[in-house]
Amino acid sequence: MSDAQPPVVLIVEDEPDVADTYRLWLADDYDVRVAENGDEGLEELNSDVDVVLLDRMMPGLSGDEVLAHIRDEELDCRVAMVTAVEPDFDILEMGFDAYLSKPIKSDQLEDTVTNLLERSEYDSLLQEYYSLVEKQATLEATKSRAELAESEEYEKLTSRIGDLRGELSETLGGIEDDEDFIATIRGLSNQDEN
Amino acid sequence: MYDLSNVVDVDAMSSVAPGSSLLVTGAAMTGKDALLTDLLADGVASSNGAVAVTTGGRAEDLVADIEDRTGGLDSAAICGIDCRADSNREELELDGGAYVHRVASPSDMTGIGIGITNCFERLHDAGLDSGRLGLTNLSTMVTYTDRQTVFKFCHVLSSRLDSAGFLGVFTIDSSAHDKQTLQVLKQAFDGLVELRENDGTREARVRGLQPEPSPWVEL
Repeated sequence: MSDAQPPVVLIVEDEPDVADTYRLWLADDYDVRVAENGDEGLEELNSDVDVVLLDRMMPGLSGDEVLAHIRDEELDCRVAMVTAVEPDFDILEMGFDAYLSKPIKSDQLEDTVTNLLERSEYDSLLQEYYSLVEKQATLEATKSRAELAESEEYEKLTSRIGDLRGELSETLGGIEDDEDFIATIRGLSNQDEN
Repeated sequence: MYDLSNVVDVDAMSSVAPGSSLLVTGAAMTGKDALLTDLLADGVASSNGAVAVTTGGRAEDLVADIEDRTGGLDSAAICGIDCRADSNREELELDGGAYVHRVASPSDMTGIGIGITNCFERLHDAGLDSGRLGLTNLSTMVTYTDRQTVFKFCHVLSSRLDSAGFLGVFTIDSSAHDKQTLQVLKQAFDGLVELRENDGTREARVRGLQPEPSPWVEL
């Protein structure tokens, strides 16, 4: 998250007043874009978008359909579904990363967006951690202990792995509850299908 | 702290920090599942909840094995998650009060995650805030997915176990994988329990929990 550009949040919401409220809450910290319905939401979706706030009940293309499209296209963004009804636990499997029940308060919305961005960071850290661990394992499987002890590359690798392990533990705060746990696991499977 | 020294009698196992995850490795027929069952049953006997995840065998069988070892002490403290490839998704309560959640396949990580979440919730409702989760075995999961997915799954699950203060025990068949795969997967765990058979006796050694590996001890 060291990019100079602020993260992009796309609001897909058919009630203009509601969309505008969300936009005002988030505009200080994020590059906020607004789409008035599902079709327009699809047009606005591209690789810049980090987080989507998706209204579930919209005329035309519904939030569920937009979500299915995002997952089918394997777009690398996090989706918070916004709805007037409390979800059943099972719909965790539908593929969104967070669920917000209306009416939403400003701190709730800000926390959700922050958590979703942190989770993306967790996933990319984990991806980096995995690829280094794999490299380390290859070296250990092919080199002798003496060769490893002399290798500067191996030493660097080992120390970077140690650092990353610490960073991963620090970002753990993002997956403490059940919804986060499921969403993180699903996020990993999505990535791996690429 | 979890005292596991009743099962593996070495110093390193006498106080294992909540949130730790252990990988039990050994060749085929070295008794990995028996050790996992012992660790879960030992937990139930010390008022810990037990979550038993099976990828090859029936979860009901593992639950029954735990019940046998505890004399049916507290079956409501035992949950199973069955993720064999041929099961349908469902939840059921067994006679005696144990609970089983079925997942469609060992590759259905989200389904397994939801099962684990349901089991935690159940244990929590039963007033059990410490517990042990055992998963047999990772080799099957690697077969159904790949080692990268399994590594990440283990890492995320370990994180969840850590925040819940649970203990994790996972088994892997060391003879089923190349050295590199084992080396990669080991990195997702806090400690290793190595098993071997020596002249008809089963022996175990613990690494990673203390700076030096433990001596081999008879089981």
